[in-house]
Amino acid sequence: MNFITFIQNNSGLVLEYTLNHVSLVLTVLVLSLGLWIFTGLIISRYDRVAGTVISLSNILFCIPSVSLFGLFMTVPGLGLGRRTAVLVLVIYAMMPLVRSVYLGVKSVDASVVEAGRGMGMTLSQILFKIRIPMAWPMIFAGIRVSVVLITGIATMATFIGEKNLGRLIHQGITRGDADMIIAGAIIVSLMALVLDYLMGKVQKKVISPGLRFKAEG
Amino acid sequence: MMIELKKVSKTFPGSDRPSVDQVSFRVNQGNICVLLGPSGCGKTTILRMINRLEEPSSGEIIVNGENITGVDPPILRRSIGYVIQQIGLLPHRTIEQNIALVPELLGWSTSRTMKRVRELLEMMGLNPEEVARKYPYQLSGGQMQRVGVARAMAADPPIMLMDEPFGAVDPIVRIRLQDEFLSLQQRLGKTICFVTHDINEAIKMGDYLIIFNQGRLVQMGHPIDVLISPADDFVLSLIGDDRGVKILDLTKSEALMEPAGEIPGDLIESGCVVQSIQPVKAALEVMMKKNSDQVGIFRGDQAIGLLSWDRIKKHVNRVSG
Repeated sequence: MNFITFIQNNSGLVLEYTLNHVSLVLTVLVLSLGLWIFTGLIISRYDRVAGTVISLSNILFCIPSVSLFGLFMTVPGLGLGRRTAVLVLVIYAMMPLVRSVYLGVKSVDASVVEAGRGMGMTLSQILFKIRIPMAWPMIFAGIRVSVVLITGIATMATFIGEKNLGRLIHQGITRGDADMIIAGAIIVSLMALVLDYLMGKVQKKVISPGLRFKAEG
Repeated sequence: MMIELKKVSKTFPGSDRPSVDQVSFRVNQGNICVLLGPSGCGKTTILRMINRLEEPSSGEIIVNGENITGVDPPILRRSIGYVIQQIGLLPHRTIEQNIALVPELLGWSTSRTMKRVRELLEMMGLNPEEVARKYPYQLSGGQMQRVGVARAMAADPPIMLMDEPFGAVDPIVRIRLQDEFLSLQQRLGKTICFVTHDINEAIKMGDYLIIFNQGRLVQMGHPIDVLISPADDFVLSLIGDDRGVKILDLTKSEALMEPAGEIPGDLIESGCVVQSIQPVKAALEVMMKKNSDQVGIFRGDQAIGLLSWDRIKKHVNRVSG
């Protein structure tokens, strides 16, 4: 358990890296939720662009993260640091979020939508009162995947100057210091678990009990 | 409040044959008009055109004297009750929130809506305390169908469109729901378009039958008239070989009886009597139970006639040719 000793000896540094890591993840999360949930809803209305957008998100997701960080770093105006890190991580969050919102909204039982139309709901009332509330379980599945994903990939942003927990892992590798690597990895994992747990709490509040039997069953 | 279709046709894109072909009919106020036919005959499409879930390719639909193409579809639909076989309750909303849907769209106050919801639940034979706050998945099939009907009636629409509304429940529950709905209708007098493929349901529920085949209207009339004189072989096969017996269910005993001021004492003593408005089928049942060849007919306390086995037999022979 030498990594605990490592953390104790370098508590100031570890704390700074952890806070940097959390703030990066949260920034990315807020931006991604706004942007990609919106995108998912838009493409659910326009089937012709939906396929293209989802394919694009798949392709972007397949690009190795180190190269994407490196690539965007060279773009004028982005450079080293937070701006590039946020942009790249938002791109990685696209696939799980857009896809889950789109599928969630699309997979709503047709007879419920039909009943809503038949009773005189407008298209936007059907979206906000039927499709989105019924899509929450699937949307939350996507949110939780992307939270864990962002927390993990954020470690790679250390290569473009982010001073986060990735730095412990990276420097641990160059120095051959196993305790340093383990310290970084364990804190990242714990952070992912805690964020996932918190999202689970939010999920319980948002999803109607009428749907919960499906989400849990 | 009535519904009128004038030469309405509908051809879906990509189809070379119209799904609904030059259909004209009229549903009078307070009637249950049953649209009957095999699946794919266009009956559901006709229903969906009345609340503009589908647009006709040609022809006019007039609801309460107004051509519906001039009414914004959501506004039109809020004034027409709509019940479908799949029910389509919103699973994320409680039962009371489901029933409150149309009042909510119409902007009713919460207190007015809640009062109405309770009233409807009671009217549909559901206990508000028990079910109002439950979610749809917690109800039985029969309860869900009741909630579906209650939701359609929430804003008290004068017109209801019902697409196989009792189709998803077992036969025993279905018969109970039909009976309850008929007695409700006697009080409420809604103008109803009722789609079914079940001839027995059609005869039971309908004040008026309209029969469709492959998009065309093949016959319309009162159930008894359709049974007595089916228009063609298609209608004949639809109503079945036992139409003579089905007629007995629709014929009042007094229509076939031999008027008589007095009824033999042994019939009265053994209880071999029926009321004049009871169907002949009920009279037949009594005759079989009491092992008698005739049955006494009463109107209230007054003996008015005798119905014999021979007369019933002759009647059935006559109508089913």
